[in-house]
Amino acid sequence: MKTTTMMLCASVLMALTMPAQAAGDPKAGQLKTSMCAGCHGLSGWRTAYPTVYNVPKLGGQHADYIVAALHAYKNGERSHPSMVGIAGSLTEQDMEDLAAYYASSYSGPAK
Amino acid sequence: MKKTMFILAAVALGFSLPVHAKGDYEAGKAKSATCAGCHGEDGVSSIPSFPKLAGQHSDYLYHALKDYKSGKRKNPIMAGQVESLSDADMHDLATYFSKQKGLNRKY
Repeated sequence: MKTTTMMLCASVLMALTMPAQAAGDPKAGQLKTSMCAGCHGLSGWRTAYPTVYNVPKLGGQHADYIVAALHAYKNGERSHPSMVGIAGSLTEQDMEDLAAYYASSYSGPAK
Repeated sequence: MKKTMFILAAVALGFSLPVHAKGDYEAGKAKSATCAGCHGEDGVSSIPSFPKLAGQHSDYLYHALKDYKSGKRKNPIMAGQVESLSDADMHDLATYFSKQKGLNRKY
């Protein structure tokens, strides 16, 4: 009994201490940015259709949020035409890797 | 001829206006308290599922709020939050968060 409880506690603690984005590899993500950089990597680049606004910055964004956004484009919850097309071509691992890469460049205040 | 001058004057006036004249920083700051609950103080969220807003382009933030309000972008939490926001509120909030330090394009 004691051993089982101890083991359970240990595994819960391990799970809690592991980084949340363990699934994404930022280095692999960097190699997959060719489709992203043409819009998200250019200064002052704006969307052309359907409405015009600056393409969002991704550097330092939470990986979980980036993955959620890509899922939303892939399953049609979000509807930007270019992003729907690109997200549709990404695997789960691609999304995790890209998210890990963009999340890693945060340079703002530590909060 | 007079008409041409008038058009030229109107165009010149248009160019001389600041790009972000629509959003008021201080007004945005005052309205940002509700947002801070999830997006963090100054838009630097510490909860991974809630995006950081600090440093994001103001026109993107404004566009996102508009889409939540129109229902084009669907999120149960945000749909409730934007309900009470006016167009001016959205411009103010977008201006405020865009001027905080956070997101970048260093990648």
